[in-house]
Amino acid sequence: MRETLSLLFYLVRLRVRTRLEFRASLVIAWTAQGFGYAGVFTSIWIILTRFENIGGWSWPQMALFLGFHTLGYALGACFTLVQLRGMEEIVRGGEFDMLLVRPINPWAYLVFSGFNIEYGGHILLGLGLIVWALPQVGIVWSLPSALMLFGGLISSAFITASCITVVSACALVLQRARYLFGLYFDFWELSRYPASIFAPVFQLALLTVIPLGYMAYVPVSVLLGRPVPYLGAFAPFASLAAGPLAVLAAAAFWRFCLRRYQGGGG
Amino acid sequence: MAAIISAEGVGKVFQQRVSQPGILGAIRSFVAPVTRPVHAVADITFSIAAGEAVGYLGPNGAGKSTMIKMLTGILTPSVGEVTVLGRKPQQERVANARDIGVVFGQRTQLWWDLPLSDSFELHRRLYRVPDALFSKNRAALSDMMELTSFIERPVRHLSLGQRMRAEIAMALMHDPKILFLDEPTIGLDVVAKDVVRKFLSRINRERGTTIILTTHDLQDIEEICPRLIMVDEGRLLFDGTLPALRKSFGARRRLTLEFSGDPGEVRLVGARPSGGEGLLREFLLEDDGRSLVQLLAALEASSDVRDVRLHEPSIEEVIRTHYQSKGSAPAPVTGRPAVPA
Repeated sequence: MRETLSLLFYLVRLRVRTRLEFRASLVIAWTAQGFGYAGVFTSIWIILTRFENIGGWSWPQMALFLGFHTLGYALGACFTLVQLRGMEEIVRGGEFDMLLVRPINPWAYLVFSGFNIEYGGHILLGLGLIVWALPQVGIVWSLPSALMLFGGLISSAFITASCITVVSACALVLQRARYLFGLYFDFWELSRYPASIFAPVFQLALLTVIPLGYMAYVPVSVLLGRPVPYLGAFAPFASLAAGPLAVLAAAAFWRFCLRRYQGGGG
Repeated sequence: MAAIISAEGVGKVFQQRVSQPGILGAIRSFVAPVTRPVHAVADITFSIAAGEAVGYLGPNGAGKSTMIKMLTGILTPSVGEVTVLGRKPQQERVANARDIGVVFGQRTQLWWDLPLSDSFELHRRLYRVPDALFSKNRAALSDMMELTSFIERPVRHLSLGQRMRAEIAMALMHDPKILFLDEPTIGLDVVAKDVVRKFLSRINRERGTTIILTTHDLQDIEEICPRLIMVDEGRLLFDGTLPALRKSFGARRRLTLEFSGDPGEVRLVGARPSGGEGLLREFLLEDDGRSLVQLLAALEASSDVRDVRLHEPSIEEVIRTHYQSKGSAPAPVTGRPAVPA
């Protein structure tokens, strides 16, 4: 176990060193992502200043929501998105075959060797929004609320990593997954807003089959003491359990697809 | 010697989409796709003993890579059974991977932007190689493959030949019992090919590492592998030694005699005239085991032979002969029993 952890940590170190070789491109990536997010958040802020709230959420509450969403997403995506988004090419180019002849779980190798420090910009932005918003939303701090904040963030990161894993695993069987990533990000865009503003069918979808509602909507609602449709008093538990359950489901799906892998190129 | 690799009636079937012509065909394919089974490997049986060097040979699409993928744990056979070091490779993928080394000529395991030494260190951790063994192997292999001068250079700055030498050295860093090489000399220049061939031959001889090699460069096989397995369209065509291949596939040794004066018609017992003009005469020799001295002794005493050249058919010629006559050949040739002597 210690050897495995040391190996995974070494993979992360190699990846970080590789990325730091190209400083200019890293700074440009951070800046570009910062501007991209700032643009989206500004448009939400403009809507809020015009209509005062979105579905009953004020700007400080929305800032906490967006910060939570951005940070949870970044923590999950920094390990998974960039490398698993290219799974189609990895499979078709035969690179996945190379992983299977090494004495390591190929998912673990991909995830840790592709650790992406470009998400530093997301993490700073998410943290900044949370730190700015928390004093303004009147949360009464206690052990359960602190657990909700940190546990909810970890659960959010797990959901992101699980969804990306599930989508990428499709490439092992179909040799295609890129269009599914497009679909995933369409729903991900929806999860940037409180689920309560959508029609009931979308609310239900975001809390069940596409569990992106647990990325920020459910935990932040619990922190703010807002009611969560369909979940009610079960919401705090569901929020913390969603991430680990998503991980179990994603791991099972990955194994299912791996057993059906029939090789890629060559 | 006991077999460490065995394939028993192995077959691998892939389902391939059949595309239909025209726009209507494309719509039909979309609505109700039709697939057909493609037998990439069909009923192949062989076994390989520890310390052997075996060339796995065949044209494109013959099923070479599919067989290598089944032996290395990437794919499972559709029928039959593959065992490597007593294990079923895909079921015990990680344990199998620890005992084998794999080099795919067209794919790299090296970290592109980091020095070669970092890839070696990662390999040490991946395969849990003890420090002392790693240091010994790294020094020996770097010396044998002449890696020392560029071991601290980023991989992206290395030539293809340097990278391939590094790939092969790295694949041996954990002392694998078996080394699988898929087209290891592809794209290399003559000098780099020579270095790789000599190195593999030496590793097989000195360390007793079993080598399974697929290649299109037949000189690789001539220099490294005493035994070859030949496949075509997924089926086993031949399993045996190079001389047995030449014999089985009918390729003949060619004898060229050069005379001092016009020899007229020349007859040589056990040889068939095959060309030549002026002072030169060419013959195709029967594969009856006779030596050159015995053949020449059969020449008339008055013959004024100035020079003699004996040309052994290369594997390329042997295989070309086979494929050219494939249309008329009634049955596949097997030159050796499945279990090696």
